[in-house]
Amino acid sequence: MTVPPSGSALASQDRDAGARVLIVDDDIALLRALRVSLKARGYEVLAARRGEEGLELAAERRPDVILLDLGLPGIDGIEVVRGLRGWSSVPIIVLSARHQSVSKVEALDAGADDYVTKPFGMDELLARLRAALRRTPSGPEDPRVETEEFVIDLATKQVSKAGADVHLTPKEWDIVEVLVRNPGRLVSQRQLLHDVWGPEYGTETEYLRVLMARVRRKLESDPSRPRYFRTESGMGYRFVP
Amino acid sequence: MARGKLRLYLGAAPGVGKTYAMLNEGWRRKERGTDVVVGWVDTHGRPQTEAQLRDLEVLPRKPVAYRDQTFEELDLDALLARHPELALVDELAHTNVPGSRNAKRWQDVEELLDAGINVISTVNLQHLESLNDVVQGITGVVQRETVPDGVVRSADQIELIDMAPEALQRRLAHGNVYPPERIDAALGNYFRTGNLTALRELALLWLADRVDEELHDYRERHGIAGPWETKERVVVSLTGAPGGAVLVRRAARMAMRTKAELVGVHVRAEDALTGPSSEGLIKNRALLDELGGRYVEVVGAAVAPTLVQVARAESATQLVLGATHRSRLTEFVRGSVVNSVIRASGGSLDVHVIATDERGPESDGPEGAIDATPRRRSRRHGYLARALTSPLPVRRQIGAVIVGLVGFPLATLLLAANRAHIDLSTALSTYLILVMAVAIIGGMGPAALAAVAGFLLSNYFFAPPIHTLTIADTRDIVALLVFLVVAGGVSTLVNLSVRRSSIAAQARADAHMLARVAGRLVSPLGNPLPDLLEDLLVAFRLEAAAILRRHPEGEAGGRADPRPASGTGFVRWDSAAAVGSDPPRTPEEASVAIPIADTAVLALRGPELSGEDREILAGFTAQMAVALDSQRLQAEAADADSLARANDRLSALLAAVSHDLRTPLASIKAASSSLLSEQLQFDPEETETLVRTIDDESDRLSAMVENLLDMSRLQTGSMEIRDRAVDIGEVVSSVLAELGPRADGVGVDIPEDLPLVRTDPVLLERAVANLVDNALVHAEGASPRIEAGAVAGRVDLRVVDRGPGIPPEDRELVFRPFQRSGDTASRVGVGLGLAVARGFVEAVDGDLDLEDTPGGGATLVVRLPAVTPPETGAEPDPAIGAPADPLEGRSA
Repeated sequence: MTVPPSGSALASQDRDAGARVLIVDDDIALLRALRVSLKARGYEVLAARRGEEGLELAAERRPDVILLDLGLPGIDGIEVVRGLRGWSSVPIIVLSARHQSVSKVEALDAGADDYVTKPFGMDELLARLRAALRRTPSGPEDPRVETEEFVIDLATKQVSKAGADVHLTPKEWDIVEVLVRNPGRLVSQRQLLHDVWGPEYGTETEYLRVLMARVRRKLESDPSRPRYFRTESGMGYRFVP
Repeated sequence: MARGKLRLYLGAAPGVGKTYAMLNEGWRRKERGTDVVVGWVDTHGRPQTEAQLRDLEVLPRKPVAYRDQTFEELDLDALLARHPELALVDELAHTNVPGSRNAKRWQDVEELLDAGINVISTVNLQHLESLNDVVQGITGVVQRETVPDGVVRSADQIELIDMAPEALQRRLAHGNVYPPERIDAALGNYFRTGNLTALRELALLWLADRVDEELHDYRERHGIAGPWETKERVVVSLTGAPGGAVLVRRAARMAMRTKAELVGVHVRAEDALTGPSSEGLIKNRALLDELGGRYVEVVGAAVAPTLVQVARAESATQLVLGATHRSRLTEFVRGSVVNSVIRASGGSLDVHVIATDERGPESDGPEGAIDATPRRRSRRHGYLARALTSPLPVRRQIGAVIVGLVGFPLATLLLAANRAHIDLSTALSTYLILVMAVAIIGGMGPAALAAVAGFLLSNYFFAPPIHTLTIADTRDIVALLVFLVVAGGVSTLVNLSVRRSSIAAQARADAHMLARVAGRLVSPLGNPLPDLLEDLLVAFRLEAAAILRRHPEGEAGGRADPRPASGTGFVRWDSAAAVGSDPPRTPEEASVAIPIADTAVLALRGPELSGEDREILAGFTAQMAVALDSQRLQAEAADADSLARANDRLSALLAAVSHDLRTPLASIKAASSSLLSEQLQFDPEETETLVRTIDDESDRLSAMVENLLDMSRLQTGSMEIRDRAVDIGEVVSSVLAELGPRADGVGVDIPEDLPLVRTDPVLLERAVANLVDNALVHAEGASPRIEAGAVAGRVDLRVVDRGPGIPPEDRELVFRPFQRSGDTASRVGVGLGLAVARGFVEAVDGDLDLEDTPGGGATLVVRLPAVTPPETGAEPDPAIGAPADPLEGRSA
């Protein structure tokens, strides 16, 4: 993950500052390291070592984002996600040593927003945290998304690459819009299918593959090594501005 | 004045609620208007028990001074003076302080009873004099205070306060029995489930007055050595005849009465392949099994001596036989097994002859099978030739001669007396009958003799001129010659038909044997090959038999065969099954080798085999080929199965290992990437926190790798163990030193006079370090404690934590490596620590168990064998320094 383009970096940093992060993990050493680093970044840090404790803290202190380990003593991390989603839409980033995508998909389906696999670099975690926090309602959004290679105008539904207009089919536009409106955030396959094709779709992941390949051919300079529209194998897709 | 009544509450172990029950009963009686006084009560500070005192009148205790100390005792005089209707006196077994009126409290109670006061008291099982040593053997706790059994037995009422071991352990765990700090190694050991169960049973037995009968078993089960007579054995002779069941049952009853082992013996005639009534025998065997008997089958020429031999070998004192149902004549001819056994027993064996009601046909009589007189047969001939030429048993021949010796003179006398009414032909006919009788009993030889005798007798007595061997009339000569020819012919025919029936019996036996072989093969249990070979050994009187399999890789196999492979080039053989003495290991070592399948050979050593025998063997080998085949298939299936399971275990292990390694790695990576991040700035204190995290977690990672290596060493058995006499205190000190400041709060309680243990100090240290580490992780604020104590020839080291504890159903799980599902890091799933600890402790011949900490938490108990003082070769040399204060090393 690269540092966001200059200009927006400072703005986002300001926005992060003061946000309240709840970390639920049973490993004391990791809690200690995360607490120090997130504090240095200006976050207010809450910590819980058990799932039940995490749920209580979430209800009492209303954190802005939750970092949640899946393997917890007492109730399991997935149960915590389900418990939170019962009443809260707070962004949840799952921290997991589980490399099997099955448990990650389970967590995402249960309502988690993103996941980071242990061990992770602190910069990556901070970027994901920012992405998750951006998702929360924070005033009128900038309808223009500019990258080094293309510009997307969400208001006029126009896309241009190197000055020339790029034509996107309605479905291509839909998928690009969903991803671009959630910059840096993982959007699950299920959600994309649901948003683009409709509520009755959820498992037809091959549609997504075909569509994403077309989008990349139109927008990426090297479609086989996508820079902006990244695939998270088995999970979903992520727009990295 | 009438003597008071004594009511006793008997408990199998402390804490079952005797005092509670006593107070409760006292209070109930008081409610009914009885004048009740508590003479003495020990509530041991148990709150529920104290509550039972309610408003009962409690007699003040009497202070007694002894050796500068003041003790409290039951104030007997005051109690006698108070003279209540009912006195409650706790702890009947208590020993009074020297100088008291009575040495024991039970004597005080006797006085109270004599004074007409009713008494309720309590006593524990371990205080009963007759059981004292047994209880000590079970629990390892020495109990000096005892009550004579007679005192307890003379109580008017004894009530057992019973409690399930699990319930008592729960009470103990909740601190309802002893304050938690009092639970030391000895007490912890006392309350193990096995001990409590044994004590409870013992209490019930004692109440039922059956201890004497069962105590023996207790001692055996608990390995308590004592001057107990060696086990008796009752041998019952099994024949498979009807009525055998009666025999077996009677013998079983005898065995039960004398605490003897029951052994059923079937003597198979030496050259009979099977007895006449195997169905009956199978039934007898089943019954024997049911009654707990052991079955022995032996082959012997004569039943009686073989039976006695077996009985002697089993060191039996009783031999049970069925009574014979034979006619006197048969007995006379065949001899009586019963008499022979009694003669052979020589007086050292009690022979019981049991009458059985179920009378079978003669040949199936109770002695039928065991009396099957050996049909001696030549091993060099086939069945038919064998049958025709071999003489009948000597006994039968002698019988025939006796019949002749008696019959001929008798007949001659009778005939001569009536000479007036008979002629030569009548005499010849009479003699012919005798010849036939002799032929039936004795076969050819005796019959020929009888024919000649008949010829001579009729010639001498009845062919004129009488009383000479000359014959006047040619018709008489012809008649006599005809007699000879007819007699010879008849006896040959009779003989042949007797032989034929014996051949038929033989064929039946062969068929039966093959049927049995087939039955063994279809039986799903175990390996049928050794049984098959055993059958062969018996049937063909072989010395040894083996089934050899060609080694699949020939010479390529790793094991070098020191013997030169002669003849067959470089083929090597594996023995699939072997019986007998020194069974052949290669086909060349056998006297007969018969190929079974392409890759196996039946190798036999013993007398040469006839054509017929070989035919039967062919039947055998066909069956063996099937058995070998199914064995191979089973082995392959098992291999595939175990490979699959090993594969599953391996992937589970890999997942677990990668998870456990990744956890500290995650902290290291988070801390190091934070330090490197351009987005983050840290003050010096924060920087140190991060660097320390990296450092700690690196240690954790390397400890984990070390445990992994240890685990694999343990599993491959490549751990080197160096035993020596070790001071537990020193081990604990160095463990604490190694753990550093983390272990500062760990409490240590190790007596200085603790015996040394024989163990490998390095391995023990690793094990204890893992246990303490585990306790620290789960202590949840409260510091763990390390305690040690000597118990029953062992030293128990207890690592006590006050964490959340471990539910009973997970107790064994925590000792398995990586016992956690996914990355659920609950208490079940401490990765390798406890698995390695148990591996080490077991490697040094110790045990590692998990118990509840009274009041909550887990206690891990390492039990190690103590070094007995004489063996203490490595006793601390005073020059080097007496065993140091176990805490000394730690504070350094």
